[in-house]
Amino acid sequence: MGERTVLLLLVCALSLHATTFYVTVSGLGGEPDYEQRFGMWAKDIDKTLKASPDSKVETLVDGTRAQVREALERVAKEAKPQDAVVVMLIGHGTFDGYDYKINLAGPDLSASELAGMLDHVPATRQLVVNMTSASGGSIEFLRRPGRVVITATKTGSEKNATVFARYWVEALRDAAADTDKNEVISALEAYRYADKKTAAYYESQNRLATEHAVLEDTGKGEPVRAPSPENGEGLLAATFPLIRLGAAAAAAKDPAKLQLLAKKDDLEQQIDKLKYEKAAIPPEEYKKQLAALLLELARTQEELDK
Amino acid sequence: MRLCLAVLCASAVLSGQTLEQAESLWKQHSYSEANGTFRALVDAHPRNPQYRVRWGRLLLERFNKPDAMQLFQEALKIDANNAGAYMGMALVAAEGFENQAVEFAHKALAADPHLLEAQELLARLALEDNDTAKAIEEADRAIAMSPSAVQAKAIRATIDWLNDEADTKWDPHVAEGYETAGRIFVLNRRYEEGIQFYRKAIELEPDLWSARAELGVNLMRLGEEGEARTQLEMCYGAGYKDAATVNSLRLMDSYKNFITYKTQTTILRLHKKEAELLHPYFETEMQRALATYEKKYGFKLDHPVQVEVYPDHEDFAVRTLGIPGLGALGVTFGYVVAMDSPSGRKPGTFHWGSTLWHELSHVYVLTMTHHRVPRWFTEGLAVHEETAVSPEWGDRLDPHVIAAIKDKKLLPVAELDRGFVRPTYPTQVVVSYFQAGKICDYINREWGWPKLLAMIHDFATSESTPDVITKELGLKPEEFDKRFLAALDAETKKTVDGFDEWRTLLKKVAEEAKAGEHDQVIHDATAIRDIYPDYVEAGNAYQFLADAWLAKGDKKAAIAELERYTKVGGRSPDTLKQLAALLEESGNKKEAATVLDRLNYIAPVDEELHRRLGDLWLADGNTAGAIREYRAVLAKAPTDPAASHFDLAKAYRTAQRPEDAKEELLLALEAAPGFRPAQKMLLELTK
Repeated sequence: MGERTVLLLLVCALSLHATTFYVTVSGLGGEPDYEQRFGMWAKDIDKTLKASPDSKVETLVDGTRAQVREALERVAKEAKPQDAVVVMLIGHGTFDGYDYKINLAGPDLSASELAGMLDHVPATRQLVVNMTSASGGSIEFLRRPGRVVITATKTGSEKNATVFARYWVEALRDAAADTDKNEVISALEAYRYADKKTAAYYESQNRLATEHAVLEDTGKGEPVRAPSPENGEGLLAATFPLIRLGAAAAAAKDPAKLQLLAKKDDLEQQIDKLKYEKAAIPPEEYKKQLAALLLELARTQEELDK
Repeated sequence: MRLCLAVLCASAVLSGQTLEQAESLWKQHSYSEANGTFRALVDAHPRNPQYRVRWGRLLLERFNKPDAMQLFQEALKIDANNAGAYMGMALVAAEGFENQAVEFAHKALAADPHLLEAQELLARLALEDNDTAKAIEEADRAIAMSPSAVQAKAIRATIDWLNDEADTKWDPHVAEGYETAGRIFVLNRRYEEGIQFYRKAIELEPDLWSARAELGVNLMRLGEEGEARTQLEMCYGAGYKDAATVNSLRLMDSYKNFITYKTQTTILRLHKKEAELLHPYFETEMQRALATYEKKYGFKLDHPVQVEVYPDHEDFAVRTLGIPGLGALGVTFGYVVAMDSPSGRKPGTFHWGSTLWHELSHVYVLTMTHHRVPRWFTEGLAVHEETAVSPEWGDRLDPHVIAAIKDKKLLPVAELDRGFVRPTYPTQVVVSYFQAGKICDYINREWGWPKLLAMIHDFATSESTPDVITKELGLKPEEFDKRFLAALDAETKKTVDGFDEWRTLLKKVAEEAKAGEHDQVIHDATAIRDIYPDYVEAGNAYQFLADAWLAKGDKKAAIAELERYTKVGGRSPDTLKQLAALLEESGNKKEAATVLDRLNYIAPVDEELHRRLGDLWLADGNTAGAIREYRAVLAKAPTDPAASHFDLAKAYRTAQRPEDAKEELLLALEAAPGFRPAQKMLLELTK
């Protein structure tokens, strides 16, 4: 956990000077209802992202394969290694046992083609969120070290239309998705939020869930439903800032507060360490230590906010 | 010629031996081998209906009704007047409490006037319909056919036993006879006595597995799980694996996934996955209902009532196996109530509060009458209680009932039980619930509650419906029916007469709404709303009207329409949330909270609902309510645990419970150490 905090701080520091490129594509709906829904979700994402600083947003409603290629070629030209790229796919997908394709106007786009386009983008941190039906079939083509892959379905055989995108859109603008309250919604937080809401949707409708989202971010592992330190998935996604909600880290610019910031970082690391060791500490002792650290952290933050 | 005779003789001998062999294997409980032998027989002699009939009877005994029915039907195709085939079909229909059972039994008797089994079945069916006179008549015919007719004697004896005449000359002294008595007692909801008869049956014949299985199932129903399991496992071990035995054992296995909460008056069993969330709501409602009923019925229960809540409807359904005419949402066995959980139903389709009060009414009425109350009365009273708690609760006048009223299909009060036990059309059970409820409403309105209470006491002494109606209401049942139907007609006339027009106009309104013709929607939907105000299902007039008013920018009119919707019992969570949001936007936070609180009885598994209601109540100073709602948010692993703990901390702080607030703040900060509002409050509380 301590390692994760350090990595998060590094990423946050890096990302202060980095740009995130977002490419959102909505495909063919096939019928008016889906057409309208897919387009609306893509437009909602566009609107939310454009309000965020340090972002370059391109949204292709009813996009074609050529348009996707052109958009990613533009990103490839502009992006630097410290930048990040996020590709979000909405629509219907198919998987024939060999390759995955998203249904677009004109020729469809396959997962292997998309992977090839992304490999030309120099940004070292990449996130692909494939929210189509059968999107699980795209994972094996898209996974790569440094790239987080999230799909709405666990395999290519989950073929029914998905609702994951609806809740992913919600995650981008709901402060509740920011579960650690650091004013940044990470890819992992958005994934967990959307996954939970998707499950709740099926539960509330008393319907059998026909989609099960998964995440893979090691570049070599099997995608998982619940990323955790135990299964080794989610580390990169946890440190991938998807969208900023406020002016986080503004205090870092004030030299007078550097000592307090260092103290704060130290306390946060101690808290992480304590939480990591929770199972090995008697409950009362854990609670006592945690309360003391949290109180001290609160006092430090209060000083910082003065 | 000689050769031909030799072949014929050989064939007859062969088939005779084989049939004998099949019957013998069956008798020895070698069911699989018997089945194979029957199959071979039917293959070899496809035109022999008798083989199919006997094979069908084997399958029927071994819990395969569909294939048995098919064989009986095939036998009838070969021989349209085959008594055995009709008898088999009568037995299948009787097991499913289908009305055709009587018809098939009559056909069997017509084909073979000496068929004792058919005559005895007619006696049993009459008694299952609570038609005692007819049951006696049919049983006596059977006894005339054969003075030692066990089932006929059992029917005569059961009638005496039901009337508390322990010494009867008809006592069959045979296990199968006691099993029949057990069945009839259970159908009359007299479970404990039914259990005693099953015990007598297996005492005489320990391997009468059907009786032992029924004993186990009914012990389980009464909460005697230890012995129930023992009995059912014995049946299972002996190869008796009918649906009731297997499913009951499976259900008892699943009890490890349930948590039991006990108080002095209640035992509440909830599934682990929702126990923490539902416990406060169910417990409060149980206590409220018991306190109300104790006063209203003037009766104190002598031990705790057990309520079991099943999130999986299939688990609940195991409880009602083999009992006709019970509600599809809840069931009461003495002091034990089993019901669906709100999470097991699509939100908006189930009001758990209404179901709970309905079932708890049964607990009182069954106990007070020693289970001697006719079904129509206890169901009617339970339906009456649903709307007595709140006019918004209970079920509305639905299209099936409207059709039944229009077609004059309502039964006379003296025969209303038949509508529950052996319906003659698919929706008759639902219609009978409605009618019974309306009868109790009518008695309550015209004669007052004390008369209903007096009727309960009359039924406790086994008085019949006609006698009780005459005694308490001073009317012959026929006169009562006339007056009741006139009152019901006056109440429902507008809807019943206008139903076809309503249906036509509803389609028109839907088209107008689609075309955005808001003024036209307002005009037409208002008319259909007033023709059939009880219609609150999908595509109701209230929603069309509210949408039209909103489109015209008249929020106040939209609110008024949706408030009408809630008052007539509308339950759609989306619509109720929409009303709450509109009320909140208009500054009516208290009313908004009241609307959302209704949803706690309809769709409580909803994080957003509890958070919004908690916020509204906290703002309004209802800290106890806010605490309950925020705790409900946390009970279902919320999307945002830090914010949820913080909300609860705020409520505790307002309620002057700083230590509890601190606990919640630490939990919030454990999830999100940098959560500033929580840090700030922690510092304030620590100073």
